[in-house]
Amino acid sequence: MVNRRLLLFGGATALTGAPQARATVLYGDREVELTTSRVEKGDLWIPFGDLPGINEFSIKPQGACRADICIPLPKELKRKGWLNLSGFARKVKQAVVNDGALWSFGEIPTLRGGFPESRLAPDFAVKDRKGDTVRLTDFRGRKILLLTWASW
Amino acid sequence: MAAAQDTGGEAAAGKWYTAAKATYTTLIDTGHAISSAYQLVNVPSGVWIDERGRIVRPSETAAPKNQELKIGGKTINTQGDAYVAALRDWVAKGESSEFVMSDAEYRRRVKERSPREREADACFKLAVALHDRGREDEARQWWLRAQTLSPDNWNYHRQDWSFTSEAGKKWMDKFQKTTTDYYPKLELKEKP
Repeated sequence: MVNRRLLLFGGATALTGAPQARATVLYGDREVELTTSRVEKGDLWIPFGDLPGINEFSIKPQGACRADICIPLPKELKRKGWLNLSGFARKVKQAVVNDGALWSFGEIPTLRGGFPESRLAPDFAVKDRKGDTVRLTDFRGRKILLLTWASW
Repeated sequence: MAAAQDTGGEAAAGKWYTAAKATYTTLIDTGHAISSAYQLVNVPSGVWIDERGRIVRPSETAAPKNQELKIGGKTINTQGDAYVAALRDWVAKGESSEFVMSDAEYRRRVKERSPREREADACFKLAVALHDRGREDEARQWWLRAQTLSPDNWNYHRQDWSFTSEAGKKWMDKFQKTTTDYYPKLELKEKP
């Protein structure tokens, strides 16, 4: 007898986790709403195509790649066009925590370029009082004192 | 440029910029993105960045003048005069200023985050996002988780406390128990 379940879901490797309603991923200063995602054993799975919008990596035959960095992906992190984003995070030593459908991913150490080594000032995109986005790179050619303060 | 580390946004920070008649770039960093990127753990903190985008001096206490604050039987010294003088020296002399930090000194001071600190950073961002959505009860557990994972980060504590009615008391309790300097002593000149 044919296993209808296998046929429906495209084989034993299909994801069986329930679709999650509108998961939101936080990474750096980005907040990305996913139209489709799944959770299985506590891990967030996303379609390959959503990865670049989150962290600028894209799926290639050699792994997840961004600029000149490629992270090889073990086959258990991929399933028919879906990526285990939580598993990828663990592989690159990235913290991940979630509260329901809101997922927060920490910094990816390898992308920090060895923050203590490079001395390259990390770029940021933060709004000013008028609501305009300001980037550090807008100020190339000028000396900057970056000064934090708070009202609290 | 000044960056208010204020999840409360313009409503919390704006009036201070107005009162200061600020002519510089005035950022409202609701998610503490700059403290996150530059590993800053208190305010005020300053980072110097040169014309090519290279960090000249990493995180230091950046007070505008010397102040001696006697609080709860302890003394806080801001050492602002020396900081501002060093900053002016760098602005005038650029690369030849004696306050341009050497690579060796930079590596001595700037450490990669530990796994616990990385997780704390992710927890703090989750708390901010929950706060933005009005989900205060859920935000609370993530504010606290960040503080537990990274107890020396004053920003994590004080941002959370600002949403309670006990910010002053909580600050004093932690300040009393802290054995390190609230503002680490400035070391502007390198030992030869």
